[in-house]
Amino acid sequence: MKEREPKILAFLCNWCSYAGADLAGVSRIQYPPNVRVIRVPCSSRINPFFIVKALQQGIDGVLVAGCHPGDCHYISGNYVARRKFAIIKSFLEYIGIEKDRVQFTWISAAEGLRFAEVIKEVTEKVRHLGPIRKPVKIRRG
Amino acid sequence: MQDVQRKIREEAKNLLAAGRVDLIIGFEEASLPLRASPVFIHNEDDLDMLVWNSFCENNLATYLTKVVGRKVAVVAKGCDSRSIVALIVEGQIKREEIIVIGIPCRGMVDRRKIEKEVEGEILEAGEKNGEVLVKGDDFEGVFKKEDYLYPSCRTCKYRNPVISDILIGEKIKENTEVDEYAEVKEYEKKSIDERREYFGREMGKCIRCYACRQACPMCYCEECFVDSSHPKWIEKGLDSSDLTIWHIMRAYHQAGRCVDCGSCERACPMEINLRFLTKKINKEVKDYFNFETGLDIKVAPALATFSPDDRQDFIDSGEEPAGESQGKTKL
Amino acid sequence: MKKISKKGMNEFIQSLMADYIILAPASTDGIFSFKPVSNFEQIDLSYQNSKKPPKEVFFPQSETMFNYKNGKVESTEKVKQKKILLGIRPCDARANILLDKVFAGPDHKDVYYTNKRENTIIIGLGCSKSLSTCFCTSFGGGPFSKEGLDILLMDIGDKYLAQVITDKGREVLNHKFREATREEVRLAEKIKSEAEKRISSRVEIEGIKEKLDRMFEDLFWNKLSQECIGCGTCSYLCPTCHCFDIADEAVNSEGKRVRNWDSCMFPLFTLHTSGHNPRPTGKERMRQRVMHKFNYFVENYKEPACVGCGRCIINCPVNMDIRKVLKEILEV
Repeated sequence: MKEREPKILAFLCNWCSYAGADLAGVSRIQYPPNVRVIRVPCSSRINPFFIVKALQQGIDGVLVAGCHPGDCHYISGNYVARRKFAIIKSFLEYIGIEKDRVQFTWISAAEGLRFAEVIKEVTEKVRHLGPIRKPVKIRRG
Repeated sequence: MQDVQRKIREEAKNLLAAGRVDLIIGFEEASLPLRASPVFIHNEDDLDMLVWNSFCENNLATYLTKVVGRKVAVVAKGCDSRSIVALIVEGQIKREEIIVIGIPCRGMVDRRKIEKEVEGEILEAGEKNGEVLVKGDDFEGVFKKEDYLYPSCRTCKYRNPVISDILIGEKIKENTEVDEYAEVKEYEKKSIDERREYFGREMGKCIRCYACRQACPMCYCEECFVDSSHPKWIEKGLDSSDLTIWHIMRAYHQAGRCVDCGSCERACPMEINLRFLTKKINKEVKDYFNFETGLDIKVAPALATFSPDDRQDFIDSGEEPAGESQGKTKL
Repeated sequence: MKKISKKGMNEFIQSLMADYIILAPASTDGIFSFKPVSNFEQIDLSYQNSKKPPKEVFFPQSETMFNYKNGKVESTEKVKQKKILLGIRPCDARANILLDKVFAGPDHKDVYYTNKRENTIIIGLGCSKSLSTCFCTSFGGGPFSKEGLDILLMDIGDKYLAQVITDKGREVLNHKFREATREEVRLAEKIKSEAEKRISSRVEIEGIKEKLDRMFEDLFWNKLSQECIGCGTCSYLCPTCHCFDIADEAVNSEGKRVRNWDSCMFPLFTLHTSGHNPRPTGKERMRQRVMHKFNYFVENYKEPACVGCGRCIINCPVNMDIRKVLKEILEV
């Protein structure tokens, strides 16, 4: 039986990475359809809980993308976020969630091609890991 | 120990008599051996209840957020004093409303470890000259205190209170040689499957009693995320997914705030190895941001601030051109 | 009174495994709990008591009541296989009788509880070596009390004596059990009376309920609740505590309804949707805990909701001691 396609969730900040994704779309650049995008105002809006909860719901891989350091629309949001991400990333790996399942990156509004590359790469890495098992919540009792 | 105990009672008496405080939070003799029980003293008649020994394992700073607005004196070991600093830095208590009775501490006795060494129930326990003496129905035991300290005490680097209004006893030499993250480093060497298995197994013992949360001075949120229904992050039952996320997020919320006092582990009735999570968080905070909780009243907590030069080696910043970055992400 | 050698007991339990799920004390990292066992080696009857009370056999901490999908509901109330609860202590067995008053009373029967209760045979193990924190005799129990048991086992060294108490118990005994000799019965009596004398911790409960009737507004509760940190350890480890919370866990039209243990020590316990909380602080909650166990339960069911097992005393992170509390209540 063919293994199901990996589900990737991408949190993109409105001003840079989402615009980058938009540029990819407008430029007709192909990228894997596995990604579902959630637009947030800034990467600092991301509560690490979102990432953990996504994994619990069965999302195989989470990508969080913000503006490059220094380019944040809200001046310092991505700096604040960067600290959070550092901790949550190494912590999740420590407790046994494969490190390729949760990835962080900076994508600017002009990097449409790069956005597509990143999505391709993330999808392949997650596909290689297989469907997520822990900490997924089983809904039937 | 006896000397310290006497001095605590004296200082407490002076504080109450002078009206500088109306409440003293300290320790009294417990109803069980190898324990001491937190006690709230309001008047001078009760001062003789105050004790000090190697069983005073609770972090009394956890009570400070519950008695806000009153003039309080609290007995604090090294770790407890760091919690107090952390609480002041986070604006939860005012420095001028508390009097810290600081006590340099050589560590607290791990009662569970001693209990495992004997056959039968320990009925009496005492300490003398660095030794813990226990007695049961048909046995007696003598244990060298140094060999039976709590894991958090064995790697403690801040035995002297970092903040105090009254310091009781002489400052003691800090243990600067110990590598407090040795266990974490060992654990990191394990394979991902081993780590996942150990984590799942430990957290599977949890009964969601929240003793860890309540014992921790830094868990003072009026509404904990587990009680949130909008959004509902996790359910309240024993589903293994909910259990693991409860612990992941509680540990994560301690980033830059945990002082590794060990109260969570000591409070847990199921004897879960909780510190293996918070220790990792503390190590990351130290490695990434060079921050240790509760040392300086003027420094903001690690996750409440930032620097443009923060490490970002965990991020794929995408500096390489697209072709070359295949499979070579610096994650 | 019957008897069986320890070897015979192994074989007896092994033979039961064909028809019953055997729940017996087994240790994981030093903590005992009642687990399904497939092999006699896994059982450790030298244990003192389980960390969590065996009430979780009938009243699990998290129980799915039913699953639903697109309007179709599947209840889980049916019991799939009969169980034997082996090695339970008399205090916990007595606690089940107290729980029966709530879950299996004349007016309301909780089918999830009663189905499990009816399909479980309870074989208890008397306590020849109680702990200093045991005070079962103060609450009408005892180390060899028969309440709530189908069979009571007594360890007399190289064998077990077995007292059959109910028909359910009688049905399950097999031919390996012989009649005990008169000497063995006398030895059992001796062990029993010594064990009862051994319970040194005594709590006076005469007059507690009447005293509490008058104490609702007393400042005693302010003082008592100070050191309590407000966790749920005492309630979750108590064999008679029975409060619960029901929640639906669902995504769209598929999900399940779950019953979870709850504790009156938690702030959300009586939080109303309006935001009002009649028990806003630790003081009201501590008062509730003591009143429920020693006043309201007595009012409703004529007995206090405590069996003197001592778990709350041993496990409280700040050494709150209910024996001290009861003594102080009488002194108020």
